[in-house]
Amino acid sequence: MLFGLTWEGWFSIAGSLAMLGWAILILAPRRWPALNAAPFYLLPALLSGGYAVLILLYFADAPGGFDSLAGVARLFESEPLLLAGWIHYLAFDLFVGGWIARRADAAGISRVVQAPILATTFMLGPIGLLLYLASEGALRAAGRRALA
Amino acid sequence: MSRAAVSAPAARAADALRPGADRPAGPARLLVQGALPMLALVPLCLIALAADERTLNGVSVWAKPLKFQLSVALHLLTLAVLLRCVAPAWAKGRAMRPLALALVGAGLFEIAYITAKAAAGEASHFNVDDPFHAAMYSLMGVGAVTLVAGAAVIGWLILRRPADGLGPGLRLGAGWGLILGAGATLIVAGYLSSQGGHWVGAPGADVPPTDAGGRPIVGWSREVGDLRAPHFFATHMMQVLPLVGWAADRLAPRRARPHIIALAAATGLALVAGTFAQALAGAPFLGRL
Repeated sequence: MLFGLTWEGWFSIAGSLAMLGWAILILAPRRWPALNAAPFYLLPALLSGGYAVLILLYFADAPGGFDSLAGVARLFESEPLLLAGWIHYLAFDLFVGGWIARRADAAGISRVVQAPILATTFMLGPIGLLLYLASEGALRAAGRRALA
Repeated sequence: MSRAAVSAPAARAADALRPGADRPAGPARLLVQGALPMLALVPLCLIALAADERTLNGVSVWAKPLKFQLSVALHLLTLAVLLRCVAPAWAKGRAMRPLALALVGAGLFEIAYITAKAAAGEASHFNVDDPFHAAMYSLMGVGAVTLVAGAAVIGWLILRRPADGLGPGLRLGAGWGLILGAGATLIVAGYLSSQGGHWVGAPGADVPPTDAGGRPIVGWSREVGDLRAPHFFATHMMQVLPLVGWAADRLAPRRARPHIIALAAATGLALVAGTFAQALAGAPFLGRL
């Protein structure tokens, strides 16, 4: 419990915020800077704030540590730290998604092509990042003039 | 505060918030962009193929997405290249952008679903286990028809609205290659999708067919009829005939070029018809070689 809400409650709030960000990133027009500031900056910052509170309150007393896989598993036996770890995923994945979207826009990559890459980043973070980096790299290697 | 007073980093941050300069990619570039994430999946699926022991129909679950990633990417890249055979007013015209978007959207949808289902160890085509999968299988049909019909439209434009200076061999080869390849694919794949699977017949009474021990790379059965063989030959007429036309423009006298294309097209269609009939008869491609 924190501020009268269970960990499950915070979990679902964090998930909804991330979903909102991804929906804007994948579906909304990029014409409106104020709207797009949400997935690019505001929501990752908000989620990062939630992570910070959990870590500051609960990390010191937690068992385990980062020295071994078993240590990490013990760390995540603490419910608030498990939640913090999850929010870490949500915040960083969304920020990476925003980075991909901005870079893809700058490279002139169509929203139809961005959509499945961003959806993959949403579901399976690093795989989406890999797909994007490989795609943009290949596009640059092929040269802009070759198939303008 | 005047605009000039905004510090450089703040201005850069504001730039990042601005729309992507709204520089829409041209249709050909869009088709190339669509192929790239598909090709990016190939090395990942090759690693999965080597590490994952799960099988479907007797072969690795990753064999199918690999083949589709390569072939759909090849399809989009073929169309991107052949768009150069269309007069710029049409190749870059208003109607081409929605067509390219539809082709890319359909292709990415097919690859996303096929790859996701493979990762889950389940069938994508012919999977009608529940209403969701049945609906997705129907959508795959819509996507596949879009991919093929889009190619036929581009083929028709190559014949009717060719680019200036396009050689007659390439014009006929690319135009008819796309149209005949698309038409033959619609017939063969349309029939294939109306069946319960790609095999025709069984190796023996009470012995169900399997993909294990199939031909290298393509994976066609060596024991029973396999409708994927005519599908392959029909679909890849879209690459072969343009290449024949391109070569004819370089190597053959001008008068001979239409005849070369006609001969190549007839050969291709005969190969499709022959392998189709062979598969329907329950016989494997190349017999039991």
